[in-house]
Amino acid sequence: MGAVTYPDSKVAEFVNGRMIPIQLLADAKPYADDFNVKWTPTVIVLDEDGKEHSRTVGFLSPEEFVPSLLLGIIKTQFDLNRFSEALTDAEKLIADYPKSRATPEAIYLRGVAGYKSTHDPKHLKAAYQKLQAEYPASEWTERAQPYNLLP
Amino acid sequence: MAEIQWLDDMSVALARAKAERKPILLDFFNPG
Repeated sequence: MGAVTYPDSKVAEFVNGRMIPIQLLADAKPYADDFNVKWTPTVIVLDEDGKEHSRTVGFLSPEEFVPSLLLGIIKTQFDLNRFSEALTDAEKLIADYPKSRATPEAIYLRGVAGYKSTHDPKHLKAAYQKLQAEYPASEWTERAQPYNLLP
Repeated sequence: MAEIQWLDDMSVALARAKAERKPILLDFFNPG
């Protein structure tokens, strides 16, 4: 990550603009134990109170790292019931990174966040229909499959 | 060229995250 992904200008621009980045040694006490770190690179997204909402282990290219982080931000917003912010960033991820491995989960979360903020099940059904049409092999398409039965 | 402005102190990162209402990117790395 330090040789390829972190020096990438688009990665740096995204991280500096959207997040507070901190780098710790893999054996840093007490954090390595607190976060149960067993391998590097381990990249974790925390909220403002230090609570974990997303993690990845292993190398990611610059092209995949930015949408991976954006998905982590969306998960954080979702977990904190900040659905409007989650929806805005999900729209951005889906539009800007359609080929990312993170995108199907963003579509799923957009559907759930849309439902939780409006109580209209059309958002869930729309999520499944988009996943089925554009990402039929994704695990998130399978997870959303029951939503197709909604009226 | 832009570089990531890494912090190395968790208390500073948490304070900035609260002040700027941003999530934290925590990277555990092995320099070797």
